[in-house]
Amino acid sequence: MTPLQLGLLLVWGTLVGVDLVSLPQIMISRPLVAGTVAGLLAGDPVSGVTVGATLELFALEVLPVGAARYPDYGPASVAAAAVAAGGDVLRGVGLSVVVGLIVAYAGEYTILELRRRNSQVVRHRTVELATGDPRVIRAVHLQGVLRDSVRALLLTAAGLLLAGLARGWPPLSPRAGSLLDAVVIGAGMSTAVAGTLRTAGPSIGLKWFAVGIAAGLALLVLR
Amino acid sequence: MKPGLVSSWFRLFAVQDSWNYERMGGVGIASALEPLLRDLPGGTAGARYREAMGRAVGFFNSHPYLAGVAVGAVAKAEHEGVPAAQIERMKSALTSSLGSMGDRLVWAGVLPLGSGIGLALAATGPWWIGPGVFLVLFNMVHLALRIWGLRAGWRSGTRVAGALASPLLRNGLRVAGPLAGLAVGLSIPLIAAWLGAGFAPLAQVGVIGVVSVGVMLSLWLAPTLGGLRFGLAVGGLALLAGLVWR
Repeated sequence: MTPLQLGLLLVWGTLVGVDLVSLPQIMISRPLVAGTVAGLLAGDPVSGVTVGATLELFALEVLPVGAARYPDYGPASVAAAAVAAGGDVLRGVGLSVVVGLIVAYAGEYTILELRRRNSQVVRHRTVELATGDPRVIRAVHLQGVLRDSVRALLLTAAGLLLAGLARGWPPLSPRAGSLLDAVVIGAGMSTAVAGTLRTAGPSIGLKWFAVGIAAGLALLVLR
Repeated sequence: MKPGLVSSWFRLFAVQDSWNYERMGGVGIASALEPLLRDLPGGTAGARYREAMGRAVGFFNSHPYLAGVAVGAVAKAEHEGVPAAQIERMKSALTSSLGSMGDRLVWAGVLPLGSGIGLALAATGPWWIGPGVFLVLFNMVHLALRIWGLRAGWRSGTRVAGALASPLLRNGLRVAGPLAGLAVGLSIPLIAAWLGAGFAPLAQVGVIGVVSVGVMLSLWLAPTLGGLRFGLAVGGLALLAGLVWR
């Protein structure tokens, strides 16, 4: 990977990290989008969409509500796509996704830390905020997004570093690689199924989910 | 059009920039509200503007896409000279209702619906179609919600509860969950066929086994054992096994 490609991935990872937490929340942070674009930047969009879709299965269980803790799958997808780029498209998904999951897990803690720091600033400026001075409000607000940008940048940089280490990992035997792929894809699908059943509601969700599965199987048979 | 409405709408995209455990989205709400308060009697140097801004920056939380409802309603109430205590009560009522509606409509409905469609297309079409269709579909609803929210809030003021009872929103809430279930269900066999293409029979059995165990554990041990932790655990074990099994 060239320095230009690494730089572009760093910028893209920062943008998608900020999209999840701060702005503009247009869902470029979803793994399906973040991974595909990262793959494109790394010169291999097909590998990007493959790892992005696998991580999207994991992200389907996430409800980013209020004060809930949630993983950051945006920079994670960028790191995963960086591992997968240039490799065998379908085989080798496993290692890329494991790297993505590690980054997403670390991202959860960076979001908690960001919120703690935002809280400290608001506590320190309580009196000034109460005056309703728009300059103070703007400053507190801008500091929040700057802090988040640094968070997303550092997380992406760490993810790309991990991706570099993973690319140098001794190659697994075909059987071991196949085992890792099968396990990771299975875990992703189980997460998507369980997450959908939980969020759509067990009674209504299960009925429509079953109809969807039947329709998907019918499509497979008809293709 | 009310001056400041467009500026306020753009600022709403950044409503969660300074989200914190003290006031949650309060600072973001004040930032988005500010353009709508500039023409209060006395202007930005006046006491009403400063008092309104001081109130706006207090505790508030809602779904980010529906925050415009609260911003519009509070701005209208401030312009109508509604007593401060009544504005605070309205904000408090909107905190829970906008949060709950947005979570059900967007996070548990439109987002998994778009994601399911995107995944199904990614599995069956060219590389760009799944992410592209997901982004377009999701953001059509997203942007429409933001536009509707701010306009509805500004039109309604303290009568904002009526806007939240609109048939469009109610029907959306009714169908979003089932449609999301349908779309994700549809995508699962297609994704399985795509990602599992070329797997040996033993690996296919392995995928089915991991899915079965994962679903049972996720439903049983949620939220302690989420999919991420399960994926890390089994992925790590498989990686270790791969180092030994050469």
